[in-house]
Amino acid sequence: MMEPQNILTAYKNFPHLIQITWGTTAVLIIAIVILTINLKFWRAAKRKKEANQQKAQAKFESLILEYLYSQNDNPNYLSTKQLVIIDAFAHPIKVKWKRRIIVKILYNLLSEVSGEMSDIIKKFYFRTGLYKYALFKLKSKKWEVIGKGIEQLTRFKIIEAHQRVKPFLNHPRDEVRKEAHIYMVSLFGFEGLSFLNTIEEPMSEWAQIEILETLQEIESQEFCDIKLWLKSNNRSVVLFALKLAKIYNQFEVNETLMELLSHPDKDIRVQTIEVLTHLYGIEAKEMLKANFNDLSLEEQISFFKLLEKLVMPNDEPFVEKHLFHKNFEIQLLALKILKSINLDKFLHIKEDTEKSSNSDILEYVNNL
Amino acid sequence: MSKKKIVLAEDNSTLSMLLKFRLEKEGYELFSSVDGKAALESIETNQPDLIITDIMMPFISGLEVISHVRHKLNSKVPIIVFSSAGQEEMVLKAFDLGANDFMGKPFSPNELLIRVRKLVT
Repeated sequence: MMEPQNILTAYKNFPHLIQITWGTTAVLIIAIVILTINLKFWRAAKRKKEANQQKAQAKFESLILEYLYSQNDNPNYLSTKQLVIIDAFAHPIKVKWKRRIIVKILYNLLSEVSGEMSDIIKKFYFRTGLYKYALFKLKSKKWEVIGKGIEQLTRFKIIEAHQRVKPFLNHPRDEVRKEAHIYMVSLFGFEGLSFLNTIEEPMSEWAQIEILETLQEIESQEFCDIKLWLKSNNRSVVLFALKLAKIYNQFEVNETLMELLSHPDKDIRVQTIEVLTHLYGIEAKEMLKANFNDLSLEEQISFFKLLEKLVMPNDEPFVEKHLFHKNFEIQLLALKILKSINLDKFLHIKEDTEKSSNSDILEYVNNL
Repeated sequence: MSKKKIVLAEDNSTLSMLLKFRLEKEGYELFSSVDGKAALESIETNQPDLIITDIMMPFISGLEVISHVRHKLNSKVPIIVFSSAGQEEMVLKAFDLGANDFMGKPFSPNELLIRVRKLVT
């Protein structure tokens, strides 16, 4: 066995390259040892943290369940047991990670249970003061934190927060605006849509879909007047109002829809024709027929879809004029319409053009 | 009189605890399982009078649980299925495999209790 002094002497006698190699090896071995010990401690700490979280979760779950099943017959009053449980949560909700676990449990429960039980969960959220932390998030400079705060207030139906949420209806970030809009609709139903009177920022397509979905979930289906929104200067509000008109069959806005047929925005005009088709807006037919050549291609296609639904025998000459339109979709719709109003004429045309390039489409329509 | 036994297969621990609390309060003996595999073991061991299973579960799904009970164990024990929004196809499959009833989430625990009482007579 070599003495340590001899190892050092031998090392000094090595050429430089060997010395560097040995030196690097020693440094790497020390680094590996330090990192391994560090990793061991880090993993142990993580395991301990997870165990603590699981323990806390189990404790909170059982306390929450006890709270839920200690409800008095009168839902407006808390039982003594419930008051004790609320007190027990006073300290944990001040700790961020514990608060996160409590909210997660409540979220989980809300997505699984409904009815009376879900109302008790929402009251628990309010009574423990958890909503104050969601309100605190609204003061954050980070938009995603604000969004999360509003989302939580929506989920637990904290109606008291509506004045605090209101300023976010026109927030520059689409995600925050969407959460604020959903909050209003989720808590106030159709009345909550009054923000459409004033919003200046656009509503994304996704936000519109989410609002419509929220509206369908609310119990009261008492509809509101949408005429003002159809006349809005905000393009996205008009498009959203058109969706509302279609989904909620707003026949009384047909007159306003007629005005929208001359809107400067093409998408609005196209969507208006689609809504009029759905609402049997027969009065639009003659107007569009007269201006057909001035319409954009999308509008022309939409008009033919309207005609497919609202066609009358006196429309035959117009349809016949566009039987072999340069656009395939219009051609197909025109042939289908002709077949539905005058089968003999359709068959006659089919025979006449049997050998032409249009024979395939005629055969297809004939087989429909 | 011995308590009627129910096997509950649900991976959401909070919901599982909530239902255990409610059903045990009503006099049923509840065996909770966190996944389909544990549920099958519990069914074979405890011979329950009712099975309540979620459709989506780790390892073995609710559909496989129903299929095992009906085709392997040849048992006619009533089965209630929990489903979430968008699982309508799965619910139809569950009925094809022999489920007796279903409840869409979120559901009312009181309503579940009424259905349990109806099926466990």
